Amino acid sequence: MSEAMATLPPAVSVWTLRWRRLRRDRAALAGGAVLLAMVALCLASPWFERALGVSASDTDLFNRFQPSDASHLLGSDDAGRDEFTRLLAAGWISLSIGLLGALGASLVGTLIGAIAGMSRGWVDMVLMRFTDGIIALPTLPLLIILAALDLSKLGFSQEFIRSGAAGYWRIVLIVTLLGWTGVARLVRAGTLALAEREFVLAARTQGASAWWIIRVHILPNTVSPIIVATTLAMGRVILAESALSFLGVGIQPPQSSWGSMLTNAQELISTAPELALYPGALILITVVAINFLGDGLQAAFDPREDARG
Amino acid sequence: MLRFLATRTLGAIVTLLVKSFVIFALIGLMPGDPLDMLSQSNPDATPEQIALLRQMYGVDQPIWERYVTWLSQALHGDFGYSRIQHRPVLGIVWQALGNTLVLTGLAFVISTAIALTLGSIAATRRRSWLDRGINLLAYLGISVPSFWLGLVLIYAFAVRLGWLPAGGMPRPEEGPAGWWMHLTLPLATLVLIEIGGLTRYTRSAMIEVLGQDYIRTARAKGLPAGRILLRHALRNAMIPVATVIALGFGFLFSGALLVENIFAWRGMGRLILEAIMGNDYNLALVCLLFTTAMILVANIIADLAYSWLDPRIGLGGRRGRR
Amino acid sequence: MSALLETRDLSVRFGGGGGLLRKKRSVQAVHGVSLSLHPGETLALVGESGSGKTTIARAMLGLAPVSDGQILYQGQDTATMTRAARLAMRREVQVVFQDPFGSLDPRLPVGDIIAEPLRIHGIGGRGEQRARVAALLAQVGLPADAASRYPHQFSGGQRQRIAIARALAPEPKVIVADEPLSALDVSIQSQILNLLAQLQRERGLTYFLISHDLAAVHHLADRVAALYLGRIVEFAGRDALYSSPAHPYTRALLDAVPQIGRHKRVPGHALQGDMPSPLAPPSGCVFHPRCARATSECSTTAPALVTVAPQHQAACHHPIV
Repeated sequence: MSEAMATLPPAVSVWTLRWRRLRRDRAALAGGAVLLAMVALCLASPWFERALGVSASDTDLFNRFQPSDASHLLGSDDAGRDEFTRLLAAGWISLSIGLLGALGASLVGTLIGAIAGMSRGWVDMVLMRFTDGIIALPTLPLLIILAALDLSKLGFSQEFIRSGAAGYWRIVLIVTLLGWTGVARLVRAGTLALAEREFVLAARTQGASAWWIIRVHILPNTVSPIIVATTLAMGRVILAESALSFLGVGIQPPQSSWGSMLTNAQELISTAPELALYPGALILITVVAINFLGDGLQAAFDPREDARG
Repeated sequence: MLRFLATRTLGAIVTLLVKSFVIFALIGLMPGDPLDMLSQSNPDATPEQIALLRQMYGVDQPIWERYVTWLSQALHGDFGYSRIQHRPVLGIVWQALGNTLVLTGLAFVISTAIALTLGSIAATRRRSWLDRGINLLAYLGISVPSFWLGLVLIYAFAVRLGWLPAGGMPRPEEGPAGWWMHLTLPLATLVLIEIGGLTRYTRSAMIEVLGQDYIRTARAKGLPAGRILLRHALRNAMIPVATVIALGFGFLFSGALLVENIFAWRGMGRLILEAIMGNDYNLALVCLLFTTAMILVANIIADLAYSWLDPRIGLGGRRGRR
Repeated sequence: MSALLETRDLSVRFGGGGGLLRKKRSVQAVHGVSLSLHPGETLALVGESGSGKTTIARAMLGLAPVSDGQILYQGQDTATMTRAARLAMRREVQVVFQDPFGSLDPRLPVGDIIAEPLRIHGIGGRGEQRARVAALLAQVGLPADAASRYPHQFSGGQRQRIAIARALAPEPKVIVADEPLSALDVSIQSQILNLLAQLQRERGLTYFLISHDLAAVHHLADRVAALYLGRIVEFAGRDALYSSPAHPYTRALLDAVPQIGRHKRVPGHALQGDMPSPLAPPSGCVFHPRCARATSECSTTAPALVTVAPQHQAACHHPIV
C-alpha cells in the first residue's frame, strides 16, 4: 500500500487546536483570569472574616458607616456589617446563581432543541412556536411576576418558602425557565444540519437509537456553540438576578447578593455613595470579564478555523 | 402588502390571546388575591362564609372559565378597576403609556443613530484606537446593570454637580426646559445601555458587507467613499441589524422598567412594578397585555422595515420571525 | 441462485415543499425499480447525478421511505420483518459514502469511529473491540496508531480507508458503496478500487456499487444497471453492456469515457442538454427529449424493460443492435 504511513503525527484533537487559538487571545485570557480570581475571592470570604476578625452578616448598630481601616478594608455599611467580606459573600450568591442559571437554561435548551431537531414534523413545529412565544414576552415584568408568585398556591410548604434557599432556587429556576430559548434554537439548527451529515446516516443504517445519535454525534458536534452561549448567558443571568434583587423580589435577607445590596442604594447615594458604587462596580467587572471570555471562546471555536486543521 | 399586514395582524391577535391567558393564569398565582385580603382582615370568618366569598368572586371556578369571563368584559372595554388607585385601569394605563413612549421612543431613535454611526466608524477603522475605544464602550454598555448606571449618573450629575434633578416628573409650570432637565438622565441611561449591543452588531455587519465584491466594484468605479458607505454598505448592513433592533424592543422595555423606577418616571415600567408589588391584579394584567401588544406591533413594523431594506424578500414568502 | 438483497418494483416519492395552505407537490425519485444482488457479485448502478441512484441505496439502507414495492433481504420483506431480523440485516448490510470528509465524525478518534457499529450492535467487550479495530486498520492499509488520531489528520484516500474499515467492522455480507471514488484523486481511486477488490476476494463480499462514472466501475462490476430519471433503462452483464449497449442513454454514457468502450462509436451521440427535473418528467419515454433516435412513438408511449439478448434487458423502442 503506497499510502500507508510509517509514522503518524501525534494525535491532535480539535480541542487542542482551539486551546492554542484561545491562548493567543489576550482579552479572553484576561476575562477568564478576572473571573477565576473573582470566584476564588468570593469563596474565600469566610476565611477573610476570620483573618480580619469581622463579620459579613452580624449587624452592629454602634459601628455604622465606618471608614476603611486595617480590619474593615472597605469600611462598614448602614447596619455596621463589614463591607468587604459582605461584598465577597454576596458575590458568591450572584456568581453561583449566574452559573447555575446559565447551566440550567443551557440544559433545558439543549434538550428541547435536540428533541425538536430529531423529531421534526409537528413536535418540532409546536416546540418552536412555544420557543418563539417565550422570546417575544416582556422579559423583566414576567420575571418580576414569577419572582412574586405565591409558592403556597403551588403546594410548597411554609417552612421552605420562608427559608433563604427558596429565594435562591426560585431565581435559578426562573432564569432557567425564561433563558433556554436561545440555546434551544442553536441546538435545533445544529441538529437539523448534522442529521443530514453522512456520519449520522452511517449510524442510522446501523439502527442506532435517537438517543445514541444525540449523545455520540449531535452533542459533541454542537457543544462549542453551547459553551459560548452558556458563558454569555451567565453574564445576562447575573444582570437579571441583580435587577430582581434590586427591585426586592430576588434574593431575600438574611442572604444577600450584589443586586440586593443595592436595594436601598438610592437613599445611600447622597450619604454613603461608595456603598452604592461597590456592588454595581463588581457586577460590571464580572460581566465584562464574562463577555470577553465568551467572545474569545466564540472566535477560538470558529468551525472555519477547525476545518483548517 | 395589505395581505401581509392582515395575516400578521391576525397572527399577532392569536398570539396575544394565548399570552393573555398565560399572564392571567400567572397573576392568579400571585399572593394576596381579594379573598386572601378579606379573610385576613376578618379572622373570624367561618369556612362557609369563605366558600360564599369564593363563589361571589368566582374564585371557585376553573381558571379558564374565569379567563373567559374576564375576556368578554375586556372585549366590551371593561378592564376593571385598580385596587390601589380606585380608578378604571384603562385611564391609568393610557397616561403611563404616553410617558413611556416619550422615553423609550426618544431613547430608541437616539441610540439607533449613535450605534449606527459608531458601528460604521469602527468597521471602517478596524483595529485602530478609535475602534478599540468604541468596542470597549460597547462592552461596558452590554455589561452594566442599567439601574446601577442610573444611580451613578444621579450621583454625578444630581448629587455632586447638582446640574440635573435626581428624578421625578416635570411639573407643567416648569415649561420645556424643565421637561428636558427631568428627561435627560433617564434618557442618557437608557441610551448608554441600548447602544452597546447595537454598535457591536452594526460593526460586524458592516465589516461583513465591506468585504463583499459589490463594495469593491463601487470603489473601483471611483464612487465617493461617503456615498459607498451610506448608499451601499450601510443599507445592506442594516438588514441583519434590523432584526436585532426589533428583538431589542423587549430589551428596551426591560431597561425602561428599571430606569423609570430609579428616576421616578411615571411610565408603564413603574406602573407594572407598583401593580405587582401592590397586588393590583387588574392593573398588572392590563399593563402586561399592553406591553406584550407593543412588542408584537414592533415586530410587525420590523418585518415591514426588513422587506423595505431588502427587496428580495417578499412580504408573503418569509416565515414570520420569532 | 437466490438473491441476497432485492428490490421489487421499488418506488420512492418525496412530498414536495408544500405548506399548510400551498398545494403539495410530490417528486417521484424512483420509479418501479427491480434489482437483485446475488451473493459474491458486484452490481453497479450508474446514472447521472439526480437520476435517483442514491435514493435507491438509501431506501435499501432504510434511510428513505419506500412508497411502493418491496425491499427483500434474504427473501424476507423488510417492511414486515421482525425486529431481530431487521437488526441482523442492519449488521450485515453496511455502507460506504461518497464524501470521506462528511462520513467521519470530526469529534471522534478513528478507533471510536471504526468501533461504532460494534458498539451499536453490542458486539464484543472493550478489549475485543480494540483488537478488532487494530486488525481492520491493518486490513485497509493503515498503521495501528491511527486509532488514536482524528479524521482531520488524514488525507481523503486515508479517510475513505477508515470508512471502509468501519463498514467491515460488523462482518457484513453486503456493502452498499455510494460513489465511493468520486471525491478522490484519480491516482487514489485505483488504490481504493484495488482495496475493494481484494477485500471482496478475501471475504466473499457482495457489493452494490453506485457511480456516475462507467469507467470507474468497469474494473469491479459483474453486472451493470443504467438508471435514468429513477427508471432502469438497461440492465446487463458487464461485458455485454460495455461492448454492445442497447440503450442510447447507456451508449451516450459510454461515449463520454472513450478509453473503455469497445463498441462502435457513432458520432453525434453525446448527451445534449440537462436531465429534466423529476418534478416534471417528459411524456412517453423520459429520455426522448435528449435522444437522437427518438420518434413520435417515444414521446407518447413509455417503453417497457424487455429482454434484447440473453441476460440483457433494455427499455427502448429502438434499441441499438
